[in-house]
Amino acid sequence: MDIVRTQNLKKYFGKGSGRVRAVDGVDLCVEKGKLTAIIGASGSGKTTLLNLIGGLCQPTEGTVTVDGVDLGTLREDELTVFRRRKVGFVFQDYRLVPELTVRENILLPPALDGSLPDAVFFEELTGLLGLGEKLDCFPGQLSGGGQQCAAIARALITKPSVILADEPTGSFDLKTSQNVAGLLKMTTEICHQTLIMITHNPQIAQLADQVVHLQDGRIVK
Amino acid sequence: MECVLRAVGLKKYYGSGDTQVRALDGVDLEIEQGKFTAIIGTSGSGKSTLLNMLGGLDVPTEGSVQIDGTELAKLSGEQAAIFRRKKIGFVFQNYNLIPVLTAWENIVFPLSLDGQKPDLAFIMEVVKLLGLEGKSDTLPNNLSGGQQQRVAIARALASRPAIILADEPTGNLDSKTSDDVMGLLQMSSRTFRQTIVMITHNPEIAQRADRIVRIEDGRIVV
Amino acid sequence: MEDMLKTLMRRSFAASRLRNGIAVLAIALTAVLFTAITTIVIGTMESFTLTMQMQKMSRSDGELRYMTAAQFEALRRSELIESAGLRMPVAYLDNALRHNIEFDVEDETQAALTFCMPTHGTVPGGPNEVVASDTALRSLGVEPEVGAEIEIAFSVRGQDYAFPMVVSGWYEALNSQISVMWASTAFRDSHPEIFCNTYREDHNMTGTYFSEFTVHSTVGLEENLRGLVRSLGGEPEDISAPDYLAAVVNRATNVQPSLFQTGAVIAFAVLFMLCGYLLIYNVFDIAVMQDIRRFGLYRTIGMSRRQVRMLINRQALWLSCAGIPVGLLAGFFVGRMTLPMIMGMVATEYRYLAASVSPSPVIFLTAAALTGLTVFFSTRKPVRAAADTPPIEAFRYVESGGGRRTSRKSALGASIPRLARFNLGRSRKRTCFIILSLMLCVVLLNCAGTAADSMDVEKETAFMIRTDFAVVNAVSSSNMKGFTRRAEALQKKTIADIAERPGVTGGTAVYKNTAEDANVTYDFGHSLTEEAYVDEYSGLTFAFDDVYNSYGLGDDGRMICNVYGIEEAVLSRMDLREGETDAHALYEKMSAGEGVLVGVHVDRRDMSLIPRLELIDVGETITVYKDGAPVMELPVLAKAALNGDDVEIGFTVNGPNVIGGDGLFLYLPAAVYETLYDVPSVYKYSFDVEEGYETEMTAFLEDYMEHVDTGINYLSAQTAREGAEGTRRMIRFVGGFVGLIFGLAGILNLMNTMITTILTRRHEFASMESVGMTRRQLTEMMVWEGLCYAAGACLSGLVLSVALNLTLVRRLVGSMWQFTFRFTLAPALLACTALLVISAAVPVFALRLFHKGSIVEQLRIAE
Repeated sequence: MDIVRTQNLKKYFGKGSGRVRAVDGVDLCVEKGKLTAIIGASGSGKTTLLNLIGGLCQPTEGTVTVDGVDLGTLREDELTVFRRRKVGFVFQDYRLVPELTVRENILLPPALDGSLPDAVFFEELTGLLGLGEKLDCFPGQLSGGGQQCAAIARALITKPSVILADEPTGSFDLKTSQNVAGLLKMTTEICHQTLIMITHNPQIAQLADQVVHLQDGRIVK
Repeated sequence: MECVLRAVGLKKYYGSGDTQVRALDGVDLEIEQGKFTAIIGTSGSGKSTLLNMLGGLDVPTEGSVQIDGTELAKLSGEQAAIFRRKKIGFVFQNYNLIPVLTAWENIVFPLSLDGQKPDLAFIMEVVKLLGLEGKSDTLPNNLSGGQQQRVAIARALASRPAIILADEPTGNLDSKTSDDVMGLLQMSSRTFRQTIVMITHNPEIAQRADRIVRIEDGRIVV
Repeated sequence: MEDMLKTLMRRSFAASRLRNGIAVLAIALTAVLFTAITTIVIGTMESFTLTMQMQKMSRSDGELRYMTAAQFEALRRSELIESAGLRMPVAYLDNALRHNIEFDVEDETQAALTFCMPTHGTVPGGPNEVVASDTALRSLGVEPEVGAEIEIAFSVRGQDYAFPMVVSGWYEALNSQISVMWASTAFRDSHPEIFCNTYREDHNMTGTYFSEFTVHSTVGLEENLRGLVRSLGGEPEDISAPDYLAAVVNRATNVQPSLFQTGAVIAFAVLFMLCGYLLIYNVFDIAVMQDIRRFGLYRTIGMSRRQVRMLINRQALWLSCAGIPVGLLAGFFVGRMTLPMIMGMVATEYRYLAASVSPSPVIFLTAAALTGLTVFFSTRKPVRAAADTPPIEAFRYVESGGGRRTSRKSALGASIPRLARFNLGRSRKRTCFIILSLMLCVVLLNCAGTAADSMDVEKETAFMIRTDFAVVNAVSSSNMKGFTRRAEALQKKTIADIAERPGVTGGTAVYKNTAEDANVTYDFGHSLTEEAYVDEYSGLTFAFDDVYNSYGLGDDGRMICNVYGIEEAVLSRMDLREGETDAHALYEKMSAGEGVLVGVHVDRRDMSLIPRLELIDVGETITVYKDGAPVMELPVLAKAALNGDDVEIGFTVNGPNVIGGDGLFLYLPAAVYETLYDVPSVYKYSFDVEEGYETEMTAFLEDYMEHVDTGINYLSAQTAREGAEGTRRMIRFVGGFVGLIFGLAGILNLMNTMITTILTRRHEFASMESVGMTRRQLTEMMVWEGLCYAAGACLSGLVLSVALNLTLVRRLVGSMWQFTFRFTLAPALLACTALLVISAAVPVFALRLFHKGSIVEQLRIAE
């Protein structure tokens, strides 16, 4: 079952001589429950592709379908709700809210939705990620790796359709990178999640079920 | 061949005790004049920290850095800035051009700060070499990534510094432009006998240099 | 969900203390502006109302007169009426020295409405008890105290009456000329013969019922009163009708703000709103921009636009709740402090001025509402920006604005001042805002300065008085009264006492005709209409001519005119325009009976004679009539331009208005005057003093007025000058205040922008420093940026100042006679200097406070 499918996806920025073809015709299928790594050099279009899948920007051409829904048919408000419920984001720089505790950060997406989180699931998740004792700390008090774990928990808490991770280990040294990547893979497997991860690190990419190589906006073999 | 840069026993530690991070753990480095050196390492290997030390942008916990005979640690903030604009050229991953200045004005910026009159002949040569003719009056927001990086390189070359430090110069560029830029760096190094030190995590890019230095977990490995 | 958002709101709010502080300051400042102006407006209205009420000795909404007992009862029960007082006028007491005591029967309602309630003692109960004022009691020869025994004497319908009375209570007189003594209805009941109602037959008011009342709503009061009178069975308009009932609206209570005043208030309100908008918008705009990445994050993880909007709106609300109360309080005190100054400007003629303002909820509610409205409008755009910016752009947001430009002619080298100038182009809108605020500051200060400088104090003083001092009856200092009666003449003793003071020179007494001198009239062939009305104050009948000038008529139906008996010294001070312009020669001719001097009012702007009032030319003859028979022929020898001192004193014109009206102003030598008029009354004593005696004379007059002759007042050139100076000071103050506010707004914006610049361009500064820019050069660049803002404001401010001053201000000032346009650029230059200094200083401090951390740290701020 394809949870994510893109068809001839294109995203161009600017016009004329300065036009940038960030994504230049990408056909991508991601199966449910699988870990897909997107690799490529900087400027190859990885981030833009991820943004398109996550509904953060609109394609110039082509379609993106997530969990059966064509994102192009959604209005701005509907996209927001879509992001809230169906997509989990993990960024390179964690992007936690500094004024909220770890617990509050993790519970922010469901709070925005007005729904109550599954308490049992919450405990499981935070336990898995080693956050059990740090729930009432503020992000600034955690190490980089710890913060990223909190971000991962935040992405998973709403049990979305797909997790999008943009260079989740980009800021870390070797050891932490491996740790975090490992945790990411494990938790997504346990939660039966689909993970699409951008990385330029070939070793991390090896953990994936499917590797997509992007160059100059296109998939290459 | 003389030594333009000499680093001895560089250490940079953050924090203390259990959570101490050793970004640099005793680095010795010598760079010869006119050579193009690449320092390669993975994320977190300490290469960026090393570059910051070499450029005098950060202060080591231990150890010393000498450029052209001057001990960097002995300079005050003001002196360091003046030293940088005369003796060191920087090329950053995200170009760091000043958005309100044209390409030309960006190139001569360090010279202007120094109160120097630009050597027009030399700069025109640099502009030509880097394929920037006709773009002198353009503002950065109208230049592509590759073009911006070329302006940055020109800026670094303009003051004929003792050493140019480049931090992942092709990090934000696509493969073709990366190729171009690396070619230009090589050519600049040869044509102007310019010493260049570049850090990268990409082995293919590193191949283009005269010499490769590998760094891992804060130490140089052979 | 709500909890989480609230938590988020609270925590993120608490984290940006500096920014919140600035926002609160901005909001508070706006609230101060609004509260100050509301306080002043309401305070002025209140103070004026009270003062005028006290002048007129009544705070009722209106009065009905000449009612029967039945009509009075019906009045009381009327729906229109809130409360009605009872007054049955008896007569003026005969036995009071130099003080008019009106003796009435009243009830407490009436007494309360007319400021006659006793402050010591009680209201009268028995038929022999009265309440009177302290001045009244003293004039009857007793000290004011409860239980004092007095004798009152008066006559009604030709009958004399005298009664011994006891003072049950007394009060401090508001008015030195006249006060009311009142007895209870018990007095009426025990003397029915005095109070029989004969109004229908002889229009005698004793025995009729008067009533001052308050109504529920003053809307359409005049109409309603007429209707009320008719419903009571009376005739509201025809004076001569037997059932005539006078219905009078109390203008003192129902002060209508003039169009000018209303316009001025609205103009100020709009001005403040603009200023507040500029201030608050910028603060929020910057705040949102600083947090744009955060909002991008919220939107990425799924916060809806509505939720983002709510977040910011709620924070704006909290900031308002913090800022508005403080501003309200501060603004109230500012307003209250400046109120006396402002009233001083408007009230040069009033002696007893009550400047008061009570903290009424209206003031605070209005100001709070206006401020809240301004906050609302100012925050709309920033809120929209935060909510609607697509998440991706938010992350990539670097304020480099002006993306329209793609290329520019390069300079040879990039100098720091040029770099600074280009930096200003990053956010054109914000730059404009700042420059606009600062420019307005400069312009306003200069306009106010020019207006103030144009205030021609000497011109105004010269109009009001021609000598150092002039002593008059107190009625002449109220433009609701004026000199009209023989009883108001200055006493010989008073004049003598003043004349013999050291330093007095050139003292002259001036005669004026009164309402009682209606037997001396004048004719010069000017035709009058049949229409006539009776002036309430003087009792004289008035007629019109075909251009609607009004003329007071004497006993024989001819013009009574305003006639003055002067000495030569007085003539020599006057402004002779036509005919015999040599004062000495003129006076000799007039003394020989050869003719008369005619005075004409002027257009004060250029002191030209008003054509409409030039009723007669030099050479024409005026016939003087006495007791109906012609007694003299007076050719017009000369014409003079009249100022306030020639007519009455200062700005008072009511005296002549209700005697001669627009009729001729005739000036005769004192000797001639004395032959014509049976009881020549001196209305003014003018004199100069030698150098250095002013203070002494002023003190003497003050003391004399208080203790010896309470009926007089004086005007001195000094006080006149001070009044004018007061106006000038007020213009400077108000203009300065508003200009300062704009300046403050501009500077706050500047500070905010500078701080933001430093924080958001951290990365850029770091890269500049990495390629070799020293700290000092960075400071230099920021200082130049500040100076660029200031320079922009100063340049445009100076240009606009000159333009506005030479056009708008000149026209405005030209339309007011007290001003003679005088241009000055000094305030603008001063303001510009201050702005330049501050704009250079702000960046230095901002950098020191906010530019922290090593270069590496700052470079690490991710895009």
